[in-house]
Amino acid sequence: MNVKKLTRLALLTTIALIIFMVEAQIPPPIPIPGIKLGLANIVTVYAMFALSPGDALAVLVCRVFLGSVFSGQLMTLFYSMGGGLLCWLVMLLLRRLLSKKQLWVAGVFGAMFHNVGQILVAIALTRTPGLIAYLPVLLVSGILTGAFTGLCAQFLLAQLDKIGQNGGPAD
Amino acid sequence: MKTQKFWLFLVGAVLLVSAVAGMLVFRGRTGAATASIYQDGECIRTIALDDVNKPFSFTVEWEDGCNVIEVERGRIRVAEADCPDQVCVRQGWISNSVVPIACLPHRLVIQLESAGSGVDGVAG
Repeated sequence: MNVKKLTRLALLTTIALIIFMVEAQIPPPIPIPGIKLGLANIVTVYAMFALSPGDALAVLVCRVFLGSVFSGQLMTLFYSMGGGLLCWLVMLLLRRLLSKKQLWVAGVFGAMFHNVGQILVAIALTRTPGLIAYLPVLLVSGILTGAFTGLCAQFLLAQLDKIGQNGGPAD
Repeated sequence: MKTQKFWLFLVGAVLLVSAVAGMLVFRGRTGAATASIYQDGECIRTIALDDVNKPFSFTVEWEDGCNVIEVERGRIRVAEADCPDQVCVRQGWISNSVVPIACLPHRLVIQLESAGSGVDGVAG
C-alpha cells in the first residue's frame, strides 16, 4: 500500500464518516428501526466500482466502526456491520455483471442486503424470529433509497470519468 | 452484460413483492389477545390486553437503560425510553399489528399474539 492509495482510502473513509454522522442527526421520518437514506452507501458503491473490492471493504469496515464509536451507540456496530458485510458481498458478486450505466442496481441490491443483514443480526441478538415481519417494509425502503444512492454513485463516477479523475487502481 | 431493461424489471418485481408482503404484514389481524414482552429473547411478562380495565404503566430495566411501557385496554406502547434513537417510542400504540415493537439498544421486544395464530401463520 503506497502513500497515494493510503491517502485516497483515508479520504474516502473520512467522507463516508462525515456523511454518516450528518445523516445520523436527521430524525428518521418513519418510526421503524433500520429505515434511513444510507447516503454513506454512495462511497461504498464508488469504492467498489472505481477502486477495488478490497478497498471498498476497508473503507466500509473503518466507517462502520468509527461511526458507531463517534455516535456512541455500540449496538449499532453489530447491526451496521452485519448489514455492511452482506451489502459488500452482494456488490462483489454484481461487480462483473454491471456496466457503468448500471451502478444504480448495485445500490439497490446493496441496500436490500444491508437490510437483510440488519434483520438477521437483530433476530440473533434479540432471539425474536418475529422481527422478520419488518423485512418487507425495510426492503421497500431499501430499494428506493438504494436506487437513489446508487444513482448518486453512478453520476459521480461518470463526472469523474469526464474530467479524468476517476481514480482507478492506484499504482 | 444484462440490459438496463432486465435490471429495471428485476428491481421492479422485487419491489412489488416486498410492497405486497409489507402491506399484508401491516394490515395485520384483529383481535389481539396477549402482549408478550421479551428481553434478550426471554419472555419476562405477558399481559392479556383484552382484560385490562384500568390503564397502567411499568418500567423495564436493562443494564444502564430503561423503557416505560404503557398498557390500555387492547393496546400497548412504549411511552418513554432513555435510548438515543427513540424508535420504539415513536412507533406508538400497537393493537393488532404483527409488527412487534422493538427497542434494539435495550434488547426489548413487545409482540402481540392473538389466540391460535402467531407470525408463522402470516409468513407461511
